[in-house]
Amino acid sequence: MKTRLIFTTLALISALAVQAADGIRYQAQPAGNKVRIEGTSTAHDWEMEGTLIGGFVEFESAVQFDTAQATIPGLKDKKLAIKSLVIVPVRSVKSDAKAMAQVMDGLMQDALKEADFKKIECRISELTFKEPHAAGKPFEFDAAGELAIAGVTNKVTFPVTIDVVEKDKLKITGSAPVKMTAYGVKPPAPSFGLGLMKCGDDVKVIFDWNIAKTATTASK
Amino acid sequence: MNKNESELNRRDFLKKGTSVATLMALMGGVELRADDAKPAAAPAEPELTKIPDLPRLNFGIIGMGVQGRAILDTLQHFPQQKEENGPHVIAICDNYKRALTRNSEAAPKAQQYEDYNELLANKDIHAVIVATPTYLHKDIAIAAMKAGKHVYCEAPLAHTVEDAKAIARAARDSVRYFQSGLQERSHPQRQYLLPFVRSGAAGKQVMARAQWHNKQSWQRPSSNPDRDKIVNWRLHSETSAGLAGEIGIHQLDAVSWFWKARPTAVNGFGSILLWNDGRDLPDTMQAILEYPEGARFMYDATLASGFDADYELYHGVDATIMLRDNKAWMFKEVDAPLLGWEVYARKDQFYKETGVALVANATKQTALGTKATEDSAYPYTALHYCLENFVINAVAINAAVDDYIQLYGDSDQKTMAQQMQTAKQIAFKHHPAATWQDGLDATVIALKTHEAVMKNTRIKFENEWFEV
Repeated sequence: MKTRLIFTTLALISALAVQAADGIRYQAQPAGNKVRIEGTSTAHDWEMEGTLIGGFVEFESAVQFDTAQATIPGLKDKKLAIKSLVIVPVRSVKSDAKAMAQVMDGLMQDALKEADFKKIECRISELTFKEPHAAGKPFEFDAAGELAIAGVTNKVTFPVTIDVVEKDKLKITGSAPVKMTAYGVKPPAPSFGLGLMKCGDDVKVIFDWNIAKTATTASK
Repeated sequence: MNKNESELNRRDFLKKGTSVATLMALMGGVELRADDAKPAAAPAEPELTKIPDLPRLNFGIIGMGVQGRAILDTLQHFPQQKEENGPHVIAICDNYKRALTRNSEAAPKAQQYEDYNELLANKDIHAVIVATPTYLHKDIAIAAMKAGKHVYCEAPLAHTVEDAKAIARAARDSVRYFQSGLQERSHPQRQYLLPFVRSGAAGKQVMARAQWHNKQSWQRPSSNPDRDKIVNWRLHSETSAGLAGEIGIHQLDAVSWFWKARPTAVNGFGSILLWNDGRDLPDTMQAILEYPEGARFMYDATLASGFDADYELYHGVDATIMLRDNKAWMFKEVDAPLLGWEVYARKDQFYKETGVALVANATKQTALGTKATEDSAYPYTALHYCLENFVINAVAINAAVDDYIQLYGDSDQKTMAQQMQTAKQIAFKHHPAATWQDGLDATVIALKTHEAVMKNTRIKFENEWFEV
């Protein structure tokens, strides 16, 4: 009974917090997501892919996305201040190589210190609107925030687009360059057969992420 | 039903005298094997697959008869167990108490259950292996999936098409991992041969032939008539799918799998010729399965003769491939075109033929020896490889489900099941095993073959039987 009371209180506090922020919260949707890591190596290019992206994005209540319009209500000096958390479980990103895929998965998980840091987390705090916007096309932004990989957090900026998939549903697409060593990650250098393969330091993280207005905020 | 059940047969006899491999070599066979990098002088010590270092899973086995014991034994002897990184068998279940006590030594830490519902209620158990008699699979497998367990269900899925479809439907909708016990589909030798046959390397496939010969009664000892009926469920039509279903399913499945085609019709014949001991199922059967474009597959199984044990032949217009003892050979036609890899392969002189073996880096001396053809590159049974892939894939899907629930919650089971499809496809790709659809297809083919045998008739396959 006591436990239930505590949970109820916590839930109420959380709900009040959302309302106090006066924001519109979009929550991660399970379907249609894709995160893809593209890298290079001394042998050949490589790719890893996952479908799990969790988290949320919270816009100020004035913000409305309508791709038919030239601009977005709620922009301040061409910027949108947002709260967000993007989560990708490290082990969910897997190699699609025809051979040795599991070896690649293991190497990457070791390199990213998955045992200690199970998630890649990104917190975007600001979106800078890129003009002009062509009607019917996704809105384009430069995103700025923090990216945490393997226990190291760095400031990042990268381009994203926001498209309206259907009412109250958005799709965020982006591509972020990442230097592995900047996060204390040693590029994997596995020894296969007769030779040593060394992965390049620079990788590109490409993602498609679907979010939807949560019931609480949608009713506002 | 375990294809590797230890029984005295002609195969054992041949092993003690002249090995099958040597016989095949003398016939001019080209051995086809995947792991040929090691010279014959140092027979292959296989590289063992490491079970991913993910949260450990706990397993329960339901049905501790002959097959359940074989499964327990296989799991307990995984090489990974030496490093305490193997599967944890924490529960065994059988409604016959003596079947449990018999396994106390083999699974000393396992909790023993007489009621499978109690085992399924144990939240510490992540995965369940259903090894009961075939006719009991349905309720147990479906209940296990409903309880959120990963499920391995022995082949055939069930002894009726309706039951098999019910299991397949539940597996399709399950968030968790499901694997059908068609063990041969996980064997590396067959995985190696699959693209070889499908690519047309042996030419257009015109005919297949397979047999399973084993002179034994299939009678198991029992303490009283009631127990006899339970123990000898394989001998009676109301509980058994006969030779075609209980043992033939593995070879019947293999041909459809290799040919990537379902049969269009089956003609069956069966008789009791030796074991007229009260059973109502034939101890000897033949079947001809018709495939699209006119190719046919002739299959026979008998408990009345052990001659020549079991093997499969895939006849192509350019070459015939023989599979036996988990080894494969290719016998080329004289007018067959040259395949590229032969240039690099080992060449053996056999009587009037020059055989070309797939043994990389083999020296001439090595080639002249018999080791390369006698030692299998795969030291484990098909059951081992099959269970290994079950363990690995169950671990992977378990992790995927956990990650999904952490991100999105578990309220929408339908969407979660759909999203898990990608994870399952990746798992099956890297660690091949029979899916629920594979299990259903094989079960339908085997059951309808059995029906044709029982009726001595021809049955046309209907697409609807394979759909859920």
